[in-house]
Amino acid sequence: MIDWMAFLTVVVASLISACLVVTLFSVALRLGDAGTGWRRPVSALMFALCGIAVLVGLYLIVGDHLRELVGL
Amino acid sequence: MDPLILVALVIALALFFDFTNGFHDTANAMATPIATGAIRPKVAVALAAVLNLIGAFLSTEVAKTISGGLINEGDDGVQIGPALILAGLIGAIVWNLVTWLLGLPSSSSHALFGGLIGAAVVGAGFGVINGGVLVSKILLPAVLAPVTAGLVSYLATKIAYAVTRKRERDGFKRGQVFTASLVSLAHGTNDAQKTMGVITLALIAAGFQTGGAGPELWVIAACAIAIAAGTYSGGWRIIRTMGKGITEVEPAQGFSAEAATTATILASTHLGFALSTTQVASGSVIGTGLGRKGASVRWRTAGRIALGWLITIPAAGMVGAAAAVLVGIGTGGIIAAVVLAVAAIVGIFLWSRRTKVDHRNLHKPEPGVFVRPKKKKKRKGRR
Repeated sequence: MIDWMAFLTVVVASLISACLVVTLFSVALRLGDAGTGWRRPVSALMFALCGIAVLVGLYLIVGDHLRELVGL
Repeated sequence: MDPLILVALVIALALFFDFTNGFHDTANAMATPIATGAIRPKVAVALAAVLNLIGAFLSTEVAKTISGGLINEGDDGVQIGPALILAGLIGAIVWNLVTWLLGLPSSSSHALFGGLIGAAVVGAGFGVINGGVLVSKILLPAVLAPVTAGLVSYLATKIAYAVTRKRERDGFKRGQVFTASLVSLAHGTNDAQKTMGVITLALIAAGFQTGGAGPELWVIAACAIAIAAGTYSGGWRIIRTMGKGITEVEPAQGFSAEAATTATILASTHLGFALSTTQVASGSVIGTGLGRKGASVRWRTAGRIALGWLITIPAAGMVGAAAAVLVGIGTGGIIAAVVLAVAAIVGIFLWSRRTKVDHRNLHKPEPGVFVRPKKKKKRKGRR
């Protein structure tokens, strides 16, 4: 029958990752709008973290293939 | 019938199913970026097509069975042969085209499973269907996928609107390009696999390939091109339903919905609980509609979509079963089934020309959708 624990894990992982990315991107937009003092570099850092999140997503999709290519 | 001709027919229909799968599912990734104006429609479908093409080549997971355990297998492999696979494909294609005509984002995988179940029941009896797998891998996830994605999308939308101010929210359009691209790539890696599995199984069953081997390179290339071509042709009717029909999507909502869709699909793929991309994407759009203050969800459209999900397996199954009855007659029956399928495909296509939907008229309201004018606020103290 259905694996409820796996389902719960999916729900929690989806919630955390989606909310984290949206929070980072939103804060980046908010700080980038003011654009003075410490806000601009922090905004850039937030965008960079979003970029890393996209790369993690990319790795999750193509990671197996890459591992196979390099023979791991 | 000559096995070579039968296998050629299966391959042709499988590739056409792959094509319908592509245009049926373009909306999963690109409906909200198109709706918010983050990407121009033709650019969006071109981007999705390229990513689906790449994705189809990337996946290493070989479909060992065409149905993921849904159809019981004997000691010598799947109990249905190429003729019944042909019948199942006819059921899947016809139902995919019907739901496209109606603009309903239904699952192409469910249509394929439904078609195969219908054909298998007629050809080999009810005992061939694994009821446990049907419930645990298809029916329950069909309920859980939109609920999960909807919840994630709802909370993400709340966060996006709580943190940002109105003038900053156009910036979400840039983020949508990345999240939508990830969904397209993931779709390519998953969905082209099913058709590769169908073709490989038909080749094995007919003795043209040794058992246990993965798809040949030409099969992978053909499936990748078919799904990419389908994606590029753009299922504009479904894009309109998902982008505009369920709720009016703003850039912050589009980004939140896409982030929720991406996170849910990747989490479900990697944590062992597979969820349908179509149902996740639809749930995300509903969730984001509920998450924005002042937005409304058109529950009538959402209800139509849910009804589509509910009847996809039985409807595709019935078409598959009818086709299986015909192919059971022999060569004449197979020819009749294929001719009837082609007639149905052409008929649906001609019917669709009566109300053409493409990238040029995408933002026009659907016929029958009542556009309610905004009420003017009454000013206090004015007589």
